Amino acid sequence: MSNKILSIEGLRKHFPVKNVWGTDIALVKALDGVDLEIEEGKTFGIVGESGCGKTTLMRTLLRLVEPTSGSVVLSDEITQNQFLSNNLEELTNEELRSFRRQIGVVFQDPMGALNPRMLIKDIVSEPLVIHGKTENMRDRVIELLNNVGLGEEHLYRYPHEFSGGQRQRIVIARALALEPKILVLDEPTSALDVSVQAQILNLLNDLQEKYNLTYIFISHDLSVIEYMCDRLAVMYLGRVVEEADTEELFTNPQHPYTKALLSATPNFNKDKEKIMILGDVPSPITYLDESKAKLATEITEQERLEIKSIEGKGLDYIVRSSLNEVLPLKEVGPSHYARVK
Amino acid sequence: MLEIKDLKTNFNTYDGVVKALNGVNLTIKDGEIFGLVGETGSGKSVTCYSALKLLPKTGEVVGGNILLNGEDITHASEDRLRQIRGGEIGIIFQDPLSALNPVMTVNEQIGEILVLHQDSKIKELASEKEIPVYKSEKWKASPGVEFTIMAFCISFISLFIMLGQFTFSLPFLFVVGMMFLRDYLQKDIPDSALDLMVIDALSRVKLPNPKQIAQSYPHELSGGMQQRVMIAMALAGKAKMLIADEPTTALDVTIQAQILQLIKDIQKEENMSVLLITHDLGVVAETCEKVAVMYKGKIVEENTVERIFRHPKHKYTRALLNAIPKGGKERLKVPDVGEMGSI
Repeated sequence: MSNKILSIEGLRKHFPVKNVWGTDIALVKALDGVDLEIEEGKTFGIVGESGCGKTTLMRTLLRLVEPTSGSVVLSDEITQNQFLSNNLEELTNEELRSFRRQIGVVFQDPMGALNPRMLIKDIVSEPLVIHGKTENMRDRVIELLNNVGLGEEHLYRYPHEFSGGQRQRIVIARALALEPKILVLDEPTSALDVSVQAQILNLLNDLQEKYNLTYIFISHDLSVIEYMCDRLAVMYLGRVVEEADTEELFTNPQHPYTKALLSATPNFNKDKEKIMILGDVPSPITYLDESKAKLATEITEQERLEIKSIEGKGLDYIVRSSLNEVLPLKEVGPSHYARVK
Repeated sequence: MLEIKDLKTNFNTYDGVVKALNGVNLTIKDGEIFGLVGETGSGKSVTCYSALKLLPKTGEVVGGNILLNGEDITHASEDRLRQIRGGEIGIIFQDPLSALNPVMTVNEQIGEILVLHQDSKIKELASEKEIPVYKSEKWKASPGVEFTIMAFCISFISLFIMLGQFTFSLPFLFVVGMMFLRDYLQKDIPDSALDLMVIDALSRVKLPNPKQIAQSYPHELSGGMQQRVMIAMALAGKAKMLIADEPTTALDVTIQAQILQLIKDIQKEENMSVLLITHDLGVVAETCEKVAVMYKGKIVEENTVERIFRHPKHKYTRALLNAIPKGGKERLKVPDVGEMGSI
């Protein structure tokens, strides 16, 4: 077992919903008690559908949003015993700067992450300038570009002159400029074609080996997650419903949602047993008004319609409203946790 | 059903002519789900837009024939094409929110198609049930206009009360009163035949409370529901063929599974032919019977799904299949075809 580099304890982030008068009427529970431990040099995957809190989790990890409660505890590896506190929320501005040097981010849409009016050399050297590492900057930028399979000839070009895959390489080069220990990858390949996706995934694996990087890999594509990650957390409505090593989770899923998610992924194996998940994605809004507060656990109208339509077709199904009940996390196997009865 | 022969499409741009399609041959039979896969820029969508003559002004079909049920529609008139689009071929686009009109209710949008393609059916239903054809007798302006009239009236009423001239506000009070009176008198008038047809179209795609959904605007619905409304629109004209251009790319996997299941069910019920355009080989493997792989404006391989995934013949198909992570940790084989450059 290797060292943990970061641990998240009981993290909650609730966004208030206001009415016209400015009083809170409801909460969007984007994160509702997340506990995770991230190991050094490994890839930690987070899956879930849109609106389950993946991105909010990433943003709280970078302290781009302040959590409502709970904490992110940094290891000595990151703090290097120079910070007053290991708790992310208690860092001073100066410490936060040095923390952000240790953590790089790659976003989903590379064109949105690159300034269209900056040259590649300026884009990649920007973090170096901000953190005052301006010695031999040109050589450093060329080295970074070489690392990701680009070269000196690309220095004086604009982002629009590159293809999608190359743009993502530039974003990765920029994220690596300050030699971070952790790289947060938010759906890095979802905007790319499969062949380009394969190139980027291979590149990420090479870089991880070379620099002993820790990846936090957010995706909704399970085949990519299975290929990249060592450990995996499945999120649903702001909570982690299952967490296990990738192989264990893919061979032995316990939570009904994980099972449905695994079987919903389009697959080449037609005989594989299918579990349909019925109903629409529930809204994460919780009303403060008691009468509206509870998420319905009984079957809704749409679900009843859908059940009727697939009856007698030999398909297994689960109903979404049955997932709204909150159960405690239980150990169901070796380092395998799930919220099941 | 649909036959495309040696189709060639060019785009005229400032940088020269882009040959988007280089002789595409496709045959889609009755009651068949046909998959068309390829990467970005390979010409999948251009194929379907050329077939329906929906190309932008810069695009132009320069060669080949398109046959629909044996009829050559390559040089069909605009009137005939309007009958075909929606009436004989329904189409679903990738992003439902940008394909639906944001300022029209679902009712109006589906109604539009029904009036264009199913006019005789609506009239039949109306005479059968003795109900109005298009509009119910309810005289109702759009909610926006009603709200504006109300707001004007109320502001004038309060203005005159403040000025101490209550009598001047009486006409405005009268207007407000009449609006409430009208709503009260007209609350029991039945739906028109068109309304009933819309509700029927919505319940065919398994939407709950079709009556309520018919009155909502697209942004009030979730992504899965919007795509269901799109499918209802495509089916409303009783089309015998459905073209689905990346219908599930904008959706989550669990919702994607629902929508694919719905398309499969409807295809079976109505014995339609479906042309499914996608970049996801998994979706094709699960839904389609036959599949064609496109690369650089050409179809490089066409076969049944089982054969193409078990024994891919063309180099590009093999490369594409190898690039997908399929469990296991061995290094992915990157296709040596390179990234799609400019054509």
